[in-house]
Amino acid sequence: MSTVHAPLPTPTEAGNNTPASVAGGRRSNRFTLLAKSRPWLLLAPGLIILAGLMLWPLVQVFIYSLQDYGLREINTGENNWIGFGNYIEALTDETLWTIVLPNTVGFAAVAVFTTVAVGTLVALLLQRLGKTWRLIVSSCIMIAWAMPAVTGTYVWTFIFDADRGIFNDMLLGLGIIDGPVNWFTNQWSFYAIVLLNVVHHGFPFVAITVLAGLLGVSKEMLEAAAMDGAGAWRRFWQIVFPTLRPVFSVVIILSTIWDFKVFAQVYLMPGGSGSNRSVLNLGVWSYVESFGQNRYGFGAALAVLLTLVLIGITIVYIRSLMKEDEL
Amino acid sequence: MKKRVLSIVALGVTASLGLAGCAAGGGEGDGGTDGEGQTLNVWIMKGTNPDATAFYDEVSAAFEEETGAKVEIEEVQWADAHDRFVTAIAGGTTPDVAETGTTWTAEFADAGALLPIDEYVDGEDGLRDDLVEGLEVAGTYDEELYGMPWYAGVRALVYRTDIFEELGLEAPKTWDDIVTAGEAIKKAHPEMMAFPVPGDAEFQVYPWVWGAGGEIATLDGDTWTSELDSAEAQEGIQFYTDLATEHGFSSAGATTWKETDLSDNFAQGNVAMMLSGSWTPASLVEAGPDLEGKIGAAVIPGKDGGIAPSVLGGSHLSIFNTTKNADLAWEFTKMMTTGEFAEKWASQTGYFPGVASAMEEALASTDPLVAPFAQQMVDGGASVPVTPNFGAVQAKKTTNAMMQSILSGQKDVATATKDAAAEMTELLNQ
Repeated sequence: MSTVHAPLPTPTEAGNNTPASVAGGRRSNRFTLLAKSRPWLLLAPGLIILAGLMLWPLVQVFIYSLQDYGLREINTGENNWIGFGNYIEALTDETLWTIVLPNTVGFAAVAVFTTVAVGTLVALLLQRLGKTWRLIVSSCIMIAWAMPAVTGTYVWTFIFDADRGIFNDMLLGLGIIDGPVNWFTNQWSFYAIVLLNVVHHGFPFVAITVLAGLLGVSKEMLEAAAMDGAGAWRRFWQIVFPTLRPVFSVVIILSTIWDFKVFAQVYLMPGGSGSNRSVLNLGVWSYVESFGQNRYGFGAALAVLLTLVLIGITIVYIRSLMKEDEL
Repeated sequence: MKKRVLSIVALGVTASLGLAGCAAGGGEGDGGTDGEGQTLNVWIMKGTNPDATAFYDEVSAAFEEETGAKVEIEEVQWADAHDRFVTAIAGGTTPDVAETGTTWTAEFADAGALLPIDEYVDGEDGLRDDLVEGLEVAGTYDEELYGMPWYAGVRALVYRTDIFEELGLEAPKTWDDIVTAGEAIKKAHPEMMAFPVPGDAEFQVYPWVWGAGGEIATLDGDTWTSELDSAEAQEGIQFYTDLATEHGFSSAGATTWKETDLSDNFAQGNVAMMLSGSWTPASLVEAGPDLEGKIGAAVIPGKDGGIAPSVLGGSHLSIFNTTKNADLAWEFTKMMTTGEFAEKWASQTGYFPGVASAMEEALASTDPLVAPFAQQMVDGGASVPVTPNFGAVQAKKTTNAMMQSILSGQKDVATATKDAAAEMTELLNQ
């Protein structure tokens, strides 16, 4: 379509063998070649930068993951190949299968569901509000979003502090518990607090994104459905949800990636940095096992594995969503 | 760019000057390293000395006067210092001289990033015998000294004198005394924690292991064996955790406390006894002004009396292998760690110097917040196992995990110590 702008070289040969060509065969071949390569030429600067900034580090990470790479190797720059030793060690570690993966996957599943559900409900609420109230409410949830994960974690830690936390005070006051309870030592209560923290921090993004989609849902269709007697529940699932499918796929994929990688929210909680073994998740475990012990090769192998898992999840999501679209 | 070229030229000149000096002068007393036109880059941890800038100005001026070289001191936060060292090692941009925490020195030496300093130390009259032993041991890797002892502190028993006086108690001298005092305090002041047991603070644990005659780990040939599950260590850990689980001197929250939470609570007046560093009394009073004059210190009692050793925490000054002039780097290290400046640093920071000759003042002190710590340091200063792998044990929080599982009731002492010892042995030998 943009062939007109091609800087055409002057034809140097008289021979004209291709019947289809009007202006000259060589020229035409060169013409299509140029036309084909043009997008790539135009993309080249961006691609080169991306390759330099993202692809090369990824390749480096993979190279490190095949080595026993520690502080000594960093200092000397030498290689120390051990093949797939790091991968084997990671995949045969009992802690990974009995504690780390169940915690990570279970938490991510619950957190993604809760975040998206809460976010969607808030978006529906926002949609019903008038201009002023929508501004007020969305500003409020923006604050939750803008709060750094570290700050948020400390606030939740204060709230659930065993000796002086407001939560224990309340339960004691109501007579539900007899003495202070340390909520951070139990795996379930620990992750319940992490869930509150992560959902509180994550739902505003979902709410804002879904709200943007909701505003695009055709009002006529909703009105027509209401006229036909469809309730709010049915209108949501049969009109709003199908329209918003692409929006949901984006928020679900992003939330999954984020909730899989949760680190600060666990690491900074009391006992979360490794002293309470029953609450280790993938982020903290890989940090403790690799960087904490200067085992950068092992850490790189874990990063590669995590990347593969997340790519896998993303592919499955996208495929299932596209398939449903086609039906 | 221009500056760098200049300094390389200058380096060549001084190198030849130095050689000339050597050939001519022979055994001149103070080495006489000429650093004219050179600059030493030095990293020092932030926050140790409240009035650091004045100190740095003074030491830089003195160093420039003696050697002609300038010193550029950069302050580094403890929290990200390790990462910065690793990044600098990777990029070959390490400073000439840096303060390295005692547990890091062996690690960086193992990586080959530090220069051994035995020759320099032995070159100074009587310096070798003057080094504080615990710090020298921690700075030695593979039978070579990499870290010059600079300053150290030690944990001892810190308690509330007002509470002890009110109840007619004496500072505990045995473990039974601790329980007796604790029971009295619990009875009279139920709102206070008599002796909280923080679950996420490993240096609070080892004195009880040592105090009962146990060891953290022992080296036999090339093989480390953790002794945390020995009968003695188990007895110590049992006693220590019983303070919380049996006697109720602690709190539910303390199970997940770090050492900082312990000091915060002491400063808020919630704690009657704890183990705390020699560098902390001033900051405790600063955080809790009501405690002025109400803080006492004593050596950590052994099981049946005597002193239970505690970890000697502190810093070395290390010379990195990227330095262009090791002699000059040593001159600076020597100036900082011996004599006038070592004493000044110690008195300004509340730590003890790394050479015994500079400690006389502290040992002679009658200050009730200095003397017990000095005694603890000299008679009861110990080191965690000196191997770069102990960093892995700390990163994995082996000891902390053991403590937390006992305090939260998930494991009994026998099981927890056995699991921890197995894990530690594996990590130390990997």
